[in-house]
Amino acid sequence: MSTLTIIWIALPFFVGFISYLLPRFDRIFSLGVAIASTGYALWLYTQPPLKLQLLDNFGVTLLLDPLSGFFILTNGLVTAAVILYCWNSGKTAFFYMQTIILNGSVNAAFACTDFISLYVALEVISIAAFLLIAYPRTDRAIWVSLRYLFTSNVAMLFYLVGAVLVYKASHSFAFAGLRESPPEALALIFLGLLVKGGIFVSGLWLPLTHSESETPVSAMLSGAVVKAGVLPLVRCALLVPEVDPLIRGLGVGTALLGVGYAVFEKDTKRMLAFHTVSQLGFILAAPEVGGFYALTHGLVKSALFLIAGVLPSRNLKELQHQPIHTPIWIALVIASFSISGFPLLSGFGAKVLTMKSLLPWQVIGMNTAALGTAISFAKLIFLPHQKQEKQGKIQPGFWAAIALLIGGLFLANIAYYEAYSFENIIKPLATIALGWLAYFLIFRQTTVKLPRLLEQFDHLIGVMSLMLILLFWMVLA
Amino acid sequence: MLEACVFATILCGFFGIIFKKNLVMKIISMDVMSTGVIAYYVLIASRDGLFTPILSNANRGNYADPVPQAVILTAIVIGFSIQALMLVGVMKLARDNPTLETSEIEQNNTP
Repeated sequence: MSTLTIIWIALPFFVGFISYLLPRFDRIFSLGVAIASTGYALWLYTQPPLKLQLLDNFGVTLLLDPLSGFFILTNGLVTAAVILYCWNSGKTAFFYMQTIILNGSVNAAFACTDFISLYVALEVISIAAFLLIAYPRTDRAIWVSLRYLFTSNVAMLFYLVGAVLVYKASHSFAFAGLRESPPEALALIFLGLLVKGGIFVSGLWLPLTHSESETPVSAMLSGAVVKAGVLPLVRCALLVPEVDPLIRGLGVGTALLGVGYAVFEKDTKRMLAFHTVSQLGFILAAPEVGGFYALTHGLVKSALFLIAGVLPSRNLKELQHQPIHTPIWIALVIASFSISGFPLLSGFGAKVLTMKSLLPWQVIGMNTAALGTAISFAKLIFLPHQKQEKQGKIQPGFWAAIALLIGGLFLANIAYYEAYSFENIIKPLATIALGWLAYFLIFRQTTVKLPRLLEQFDHLIGVMSLMLILLFWMVLA
Repeated sequence: MLEACVFATILCGFFGIIFKKNLVMKIISMDVMSTGVIAYYVLIASRDGLFTPILSNANRGNYADPVPQAVILTAIVIGFSIQALMLVGVMKLARDNPTLETSEIEQNNTP
């Protein structure tokens, strides 16, 4: 089993470079790696948790259990869908190579349990994501990717200082060493992970980055890549009970912040990006069941980003006068229903599971966030639609990718069938009904435009120092 | 004392990133900051001794801890490659934004 795990870790990097040498097979190679990784994740569920210690005492430690299985599965499915989507789009071998390396480094970040392996994985993610965002080579793409790389690199410098403080206290870089380390180590490490994972105010780099990237890249970033910063936080919360309330609190704050921006947003892609922020909050709000939520969110969010890419416009005001093709609208509605928590889709099971594991003080905040989700997805559900004779330009691989993701949503729903009890079904339906009511009465007419001040580059860096102080204070308290 | 100097370096770099207007200056400030972080690793490694840990018969006193040094070597390489990538990006941006002021670039390139 350990040999297979090592092959699985190394395969994407190896195949990535090979496919650059044999550009004719780039798509097949990268799709093959994505499928292999998905298969490996499914196989993990049949195995007992595996702990690996490579290269002697201070070496790399890996942990593969059902929790990381959920994240790896998400990553594999999203990557496969993105590659299918790009199948006939004329992307070069370079694009596929970066996609597959990104997939591999995200997998590595999910598997490792020591701070230095995690650091390396996160930095490789930054580089691969930078190259993917900058792929169109326009000025805007270069600026957005540069801003992303800069922000995450500065955060990782803080993280490195935290990592060495952990080493100083416990003579190892393992996550478990966090228990003996001083509060400043915890604050510094969490700052790095929060920025990388797009959580709370330090995650405000995310909306611009995810909305200005190309469609497949935003699907990949929102579906899988941000979770590389989230899983380590979840692991720390499970491993060190002292930080559990801190993580849960940040989860509630993030869920509310993201939803608060999203309900007023008039641009589809930006709205989806803000929802990524809010859904990450849901994952952190109940760390012990975060895996299933992450899987659901990864599938639904990448589907939504791919669909948003084929809509006739990005502006919701314009979309209300421009009917969309009915099949696309149906896919959009299924995905929106799932993320709002409607029964029959796995968003329902995930929401029920998360809500059940909340602590009493979190309940109000998270229900408000769920209501906000229903409100903002009403904007997409009630768009006009009609059957169009003349098909617009739709990527040939679009339907294959959507079928994979939405099929995954239905299948994952079966995995947690215990959720179907009477009161469990009533509650999300009531939330959705209330959300739609609020949408028609209030939010459809509003033209509030929230300021984007905090998303400016200088403020992103400045907020890091504030966040550091906040974290330090929270850890001490 | 040394520790204070190291932290001062890190802070200088961080404030440089915030207060410098020019993109290249920001990248250099980031480099200053990462120099501080690297120095901190070296400092932690030399807590118990200064000698390079090489296996030999002669006893030369206390050895430095090799683990943080090995780790920071990786980080140096990563930091270096990220800086190279950033500078390439800056070169591309410099064609249309010759002053390279971040506020200008941001204004031109955000929707």
